[in-house]
Amino acid sequence: MPSPPRGFEVPLWRALTVFRLASLAYVCVLAVRDADRYAHPFAVGALLLLMIAWTGATIVAYARPAWRRWPLLLADLGVVIAIVLSTPWVVGREALGNGVPTLGVAWMAGPVLAWAVSGGRRRGTVAALLVAGADLATRERIGQSSFTGVILMLLAGVVVGHVARLAVAAEERLQRAVELEAATRERERLARGIHDSVLQVLALVQRRGADLPGEAGDLARLAGEQEAALRALISGTTPVGAGRLDDGDAVDLRALLSRYASTAVSLSAPASPVPLPRQVAGELAAATSAALDNVGRHAGGRAWVLIEDEGDSVTVSIRDEGPGIPDGRLAEAAAQGRLGVTLSIQGRVADLGGTVRIMSAPEAGTEIELVVPRARG
Amino acid sequence: MSALRVMVVDDHPMWREGVARDLTEAGFLVVATSGEGRQAIRVAAAARPDVVVLDLQLPDISGVEVVLGLRAALPEVRVLMLSASGEEQSVLDAVKAGATGYLVKSTAPAEFLDAVRRTAAGDPVFTPGLAGLVLGEYRRLAAPGQGPGPAGGAEPGTPRLTDRETEVLRLVAKGMSYKQIAQRLGLSHRTVQNHVQNTLGKLQLHNRVELTRYAIERGLGG
Repeated sequence: MPSPPRGFEVPLWRALTVFRLASLAYVCVLAVRDADRYAHPFAVGALLLLMIAWTGATIVAYARPAWRRWPLLLADLGVVIAIVLSTPWVVGREALGNGVPTLGVAWMAGPVLAWAVSGGRRRGTVAALLVAGADLATRERIGQSSFTGVILMLLAGVVVGHVARLAVAAEERLQRAVELEAATRERERLARGIHDSVLQVLALVQRRGADLPGEAGDLARLAGEQEAALRALISGTTPVGAGRLDDGDAVDLRALLSRYASTAVSLSAPASPVPLPRQVAGELAAATSAALDNVGRHAGGRAWVLIEDEGDSVTVSIRDEGPGIPDGRLAEAAAQGRLGVTLSIQGRVADLGGTVRIMSAPEAGTEIELVVPRARG
Repeated sequence: MSALRVMVVDDHPMWREGVARDLTEAGFLVVATSGEGRQAIRVAAAARPDVVVLDLQLPDISGVEVVLGLRAALPEVRVLMLSASGEEQSVLDAVKAGATGYLVKSTAPAEFLDAVRRTAAGDPVFTPGLAGLVLGEYRRLAAPGQGPGPAGGAEPGTPRLTDRETEVLRLVAKGMSYKQIAQRLGLSHRTVQNHVQNTLGKLQLHNRVELTRYAIERGLGG
């Protein structure tokens, strides 16, 4: 799998290179200063050359993202620990006892930082403990200052590892944001194109054919329905342009009800969102849907839905111009146990603490009004 | 009576020509067509239409700006908006700016032609959707916390609907025709029309006052 370019990790690796060079220079300065106190000065010189060579090698190797894997990381750690462990012999136990520093000093933190950058906090901690263990094993006396060095290295491993993970996470988040933006832009481009062409033609077809008899009229109606659906699709929301609500638990009732709008069902609503708790809005939408199903069965399909926000309460009215419910028909249905629609609507709304009003007369259509109180918080 | 002078503003040529042809066939005089807002305002000043049939989505300026520009150039002109669904806020803004009619684009030709006639006669053309928007706007204005008025209530001067106007507007929003409303409420057709007209008039007046006050505040403050 080709790994994506890790933009934010690059500066970390660069900083590590600088650290290696600077710490190597520090080691060289100390070695020149203490040259006459070493037990085996020539061995120290050889080790110094090895350290210089290894620093150069790691700088080159770590510069290639593909090489920053276990073999290199393990080799890096192994070489450094080996050099640290050889210190008692080349420097001499006597010199160490007299305060001559070990050969590793700051330079031995190089692989710790490399592990941290490549693998995060945990890997940095492991490397720091291994190097610190090797360092402590070479000491004659384990004093306060050696512990301070160990703690500093441990902290460096943890902090650098943490920062490296943060950088990677930030990179991924940025990547997602970029992709999202590209998708949005593409969608807007498509929407513009569709709005300027297909939608206009579909609307025109519907308009021209609306009065034609038979199949042509049906085709026109189909074109109209497709126009509404396509428009909802490209607007990325719903036909009513659902307003965004900041409150996670509240939803815009207009958005929920807009899915029932069609050429046969007209939806009227305020221009601003009508926020309701998710559960309340869902029940209200289900009750509205039940009422509209009723229209489809009994009233020939044409219906009007009105959403009103009165602050303390929300009202949804559903009206049709069907045959209406004859007097006594509701009672009759109730007596026969066929209360489906009414019961379902009334039950849902009553659970929300609301009321249902049904007005109907023969040949004058049916009007159902659902009023739900809004809890004030 | 001479033919009504109509201007069609829409950025889609096919649609524009279709509407213009319908209007011509029905005996209207199409005095101009335009695909852009700024051009429409310039052309309207010379063509002097009685009614402008306006699509709210134009490539250059917003529907509200076109309505304001048209009314500034020709104070007597009536604007009938023809728009797609999903543009609630712009429809409401255009109505507050002085447009008096609104139809969705899928409206049948006969209904559309009738709407043009009614608009020319000064009758507001309300779809159920527009009535719902206007109702919502009155409730928003009346709600506490709007504007700099005393806390807990709307500021004085906020337009309010009478009970009768609210009743009429609700019935329009539920899809009833003026005739049906007149029957149900025992009113004359003309009275129902007047009620609907008043609801728009108050909103437009309020909008003009607000705009003026805003301009004065900016003028004095800047």
